Amino acid sequence: MARILLRFSESIVEEPIIAQIILELKVPINIITAHVNSKGGEVIAEVPNEALDKVVKAFRQRGALVSIPKLIEVDSEKCISCGACVTLCPVEAIKIDEDKTVVFDKEKCIGSICSTCVDACPTRAIKSVKQNNAEATTNSKQ
Amino acid sequence: MKRLVESSGVEVAFREVDVVTTGTFGAMCSSGAVINLGHADPPIKIEKAWINDVPICHPGAAVDLYIGATAMSERQPFEYGGGHVIEDLVSGKEVELRATAYGTDCYPRTQIRTHLTKDDLNQFYLLNFRNCYQRYACAVNSRDETVYTYMGKLLPRLKNATYSGAGELNPLMNDPDYETIGIGTRIFLGGTQGYVIGEGTQHDPQNRLGTIMVRGDAKKMNPEFLRGASFTRYGTTLYVGIGIPIPILNLGLAKKTAIRDEEIFTNVVDYGVPRRNRPVLGRVSYKELKSGSITVGDKRIRVSSLSSLKTARKIAATLKRWIEEGEFYLTAPVERLPLDTVFKPMRQTEEVSFVANVMQKAITCKENETLQAVAERIVTRSVNHIVMVDDNGKLTGIVTSWDITRALAHGKTALADVVTRRVITAKPDEPLETASKRMAQHNISALPVIDNERKVLGIVTAEDVSKLLGR
Repeated sequence: MARILLRFSESIVEEPIIAQIILELKVPINIITAHVNSKGGEVIAEVPNEALDKVVKAFRQRGALVSIPKLIEVDSEKCISCGACVTLCPVEAIKIDEDKTVVFDKEKCIGSICSTCVDACPTRAIKSVKQNNAEATTNSKQ
Repeated sequence: MKRLVESSGVEVAFREVDVVTTGTFGAMCSSGAVINLGHADPPIKIEKAWINDVPICHPGAAVDLYIGATAMSERQPFEYGGGHVIEDLVSGKEVELRATAYGTDCYPRTQIRTHLTKDDLNQFYLLNFRNCYQRYACAVNSRDETVYTYMGKLLPRLKNATYSGAGELNPLMNDPDYETIGIGTRIFLGGTQGYVIGEGTQHDPQNRLGTIMVRGDAKKMNPEFLRGASFTRYGTTLYVGIGIPIPILNLGLAKKTAIRDEEIFTNVVDYGVPRRNRPVLGRVSYKELKSGSITVGDKRIRVSSLSSLKTARKIAATLKRWIEEGEFYLTAPVERLPLDTVFKPMRQTEEVSFVANVMQKAITCKENETLQAVAERIVTRSVNHIVMVDDNGKLTGIVTSWDITRALAHGKTALADVVTRRVITAKPDEPLETASKRMAQHNISALPVIDNERKVLGIVTAEDVSKLLGR
């Protein structure tokens, strides 16, 4: 499964775009998180790898901004394995292993949309990276 | 030791074990470093100094400075501070020193700017006035908003908990009567050998909250065990690695060093209450804390550590290796840590105002009343805020004169469409200052005062606050 970050602007947020694409492409799309109101929305969804290209294309055709969220990055040199981040993670993607090292599950992490752990890290070892935004914006203008 | 006492008993353990090593690695704000710069030419008697834009204390004389761990950079406050300066110097990095002075006949210079590494300093001593707390409180937050504290980020409504300390691995916990710890005890400090130079400030042995004052040569330290850190909206600090060897001199020490996490308890404290005596919501052992979740009342709360147990273990293991390899010799203290020190609160000679001192009776309404009736009450009672309560007097909303005006402008007539449901509130024992800050933060002019059951006790308004300040 691949993870995509969808952004819907105010003008298209009322439209059932995700449902339309699921029906049209017959692709199971799994919504991981959704923050939607009348001003717009941000959704993280999981898509089967083989369908990724056509799903991304379909969303862009309907005016949604699509980016592959680069998840949080952890600098293992800076991390001191204190564990301050562990309980802040809403999806339990951060664990403490047997030898008390803090480990991140990149598969589970919902990335930049959440970032709850980022400002709780005393050594600033966690960065949420939103580098795909620029690319997504350019693509949508085409 | 702990396992040996469990399996073979104290007598065997006493015969078999010579030394138990301990370790802890946590944020210790009461830390800093003394540096001596040597004299400039022409000489300067420094009045104010900054290193990498962090203000540095000038406690006395001309070129001796103290880098406090919590001093924050003027350019990047909360992100870079004294703790980071110390770490950078320890790592061998070059730092920028700026200083100003008033100039004297013997020290004519009034300003200086230079770049330094630790090799350029005459002395660079870590000098921490309070480290190594025996144990510490477990923090939660009962408020409706996230609070950022020195105990880390605390989510609203007890959604998470944090704690600090190594529990059974903590140095002072393994010698709670300080039989072997005191002035002159050689210890592991920041990756090299340092010394205990006395009890730390706020040393509170009777409550098992002992602390130590330590000193060590920072030039020989290792950034793995001395790390600058930032606590969002609290400030900067320094993580300090400390390990103390406990020689097993008697049967009693064999027993004491066998202490387990399940025997060490601490209070769960509500850091949502901005008072000195924060409410204690429960009591938990370090075993529960290390398990990742605690139970308070009937609520299960996930808990995370702020100190690194991984590094604490590494410190204890490193100290053990040093002793085995003959690199580290134990010392007897010249004077043991005191057992009778009392930690008093501050004597305050000026009165502080709390919400309870200024709150007024709240004018209330019920859900089923008409907008007209509420508007009338605003006029007759001459107030701007009507607090909506249920039959038990519990808070359900707030209506302001501004809400009524807006309703009139938009042609709304039902009270339900006008009332604000998410109400920002205050507690009676809260300092007036924090309540007034909350009003400013949310751009509102009053806070209903409620108890823990959300029952309305009164209301505090911006007007009341300004009246008090204008007195």
